[in-house]
Amino acid sequence: MSPSLSRNRTAFEPEDRSRVAGLWQERFGIPAQVFDSFSFYRRAQNVWAFSDTALPKLSYEAIGLRMMNFKEEPWKPTSCALQVFGRHATKNAVHLNREQSGIFFAGKSQVLEANIEPGYVVVFYNGDVLGCGLYSHGKLISQLPKERRISGDAEMDI
Amino acid sequence: MDHLQRYREIVPDFDGFLSILDRPLPASVRINTLKTSKSSLLDRLDRSGVAYTCLNWYPLGLRLSVQRPGKMTEHLLGHIHIQEEVSMVPPIVLDPRPGDRVLDLCAAPGSKTTQISQETENRGLVIANEPSLARITSLRSNCERLGAINVAITRYDGRRFPHQQFDRVLVDAPCSSEGMARKDPKVLERCSLKRSLDLQVLQIELLKRAVQLTRSGGVIVYSTCTYAPEENEAVVDNVLGEYRDRGTVCLEATSVPGLKGSPGLTEWNGKEFCDELKHTARYYPHQNDTGGFFVAKLVKK
Repeated sequence: MSPSLSRNRTAFEPEDRSRVAGLWQERFGIPAQVFDSFSFYRRAQNVWAFSDTALPKLSYEAIGLRMMNFKEEPWKPTSCALQVFGRHATKNAVHLNREQSGIFFAGKSQVLEANIEPGYVVVFYNGDVLGCGLYSHGKLISQLPKERRISGDAEMDI
Repeated sequence: MDHLQRYREIVPDFDGFLSILDRPLPASVRINTLKTSKSSLLDRLDRSGVAYTCLNWYPLGLRLSVQRPGKMTEHLLGHIHIQEEVSMVPPIVLDPRPGDRVLDLCAAPGSKTTQISQETENRGLVIANEPSLARITSLRSNCERLGAINVAITRYDGRRFPHQQFDRVLVDAPCSSEGMARKDPKVLERCSLKRSLDLQVLQIELLKRAVQLTRSGGVIVYSTCTYAPEENEAVVDNVLGEYRDRGTVCLEATSVPGLKGSPGLTEWNGKEFCDELKHTARYYPHQNDTGGFFVAKLVKK
């Protein structure tokens, strides 16, 4: 791969805030003004959310948090972005009980009756957003990344 | 353990120091105010019956009575971050404010980066630099889990970080990690004078670059988790020496009220350091039941 291609692959481009806000409003009913104090960047198929601060000209590995990806239809929100923005959701959100949240935490799927559209949903437990679920054919499939599952391990970090 | 005998003359209560190294570290976490508040978090712990003690020198530090805090819901939600107590000191000394431009030159796995982000309340800019691609994974993961949205990650060799001007720069330098022996006794097997002197070359270059990247009036914090004066006072003394004629960089007292520490050395193995080095701080495990750390605060005039 030539150096210029390599650079292009890692370049972040500013992404239109209203486009991002529009998609999140449409899917989750999150008011557009929730995103007012953030800027957005796109790299390849991913959109990243960042504090609305000017960025110096440097080569970046990551900017803020990965918000959503467009690899497939429909676009997919990340669990970490839902933990930040998902509490404002007014639709396509499910509230789990303790037992159901345990299944979700473990990264598994479960049968669930809910009045939501098929696709990606915000998963709540006890008032907190746990992350992203996929609702399909009456089943809720946990989308928690492996390192975020409760069966995972965490090391003491110094 | 033999390697530590070289510190017999400088560590107060050396036998107490040696004996605590056999005891495991208490489980400690930092409350992440980017995602919760201290009162909400303590309410949750009370409701779930988890016993805790608040650190008397840092309101957001907690000792927990649980074996594996990484398995807690609060960890998954990013309400807490598992962090060794004394590793919370460098960001406290750096004291970043909302709106500051901050550089964390050696950032992974991001405990201090995310603590800085929390101190800036996600306002301003935190550049987290980490040369190792493998270690960027953990850095990114921690920033995302904790909702540190004003952090942008770069992957430069810190010695050649591109020219910028920052309000505050943290150099939590790669070191021989002697202070982590309570977590992993094997670290001591890798320690030697030669290794410390090899690391010193890198540490001096990193700290020099950090000073260049700091604006006039800005603050640089240099820290390691090791006791070796070769990697601590000798590094700071060398960099201060570069600026001594111009008098543009000086040391400010490093003290955290409520946390016991010892002043930095002004002499080691016959070599004298600048008298200012007494303003740096050494934290030994038996002083606060923690790991070991060295912290220096430099101010650029």
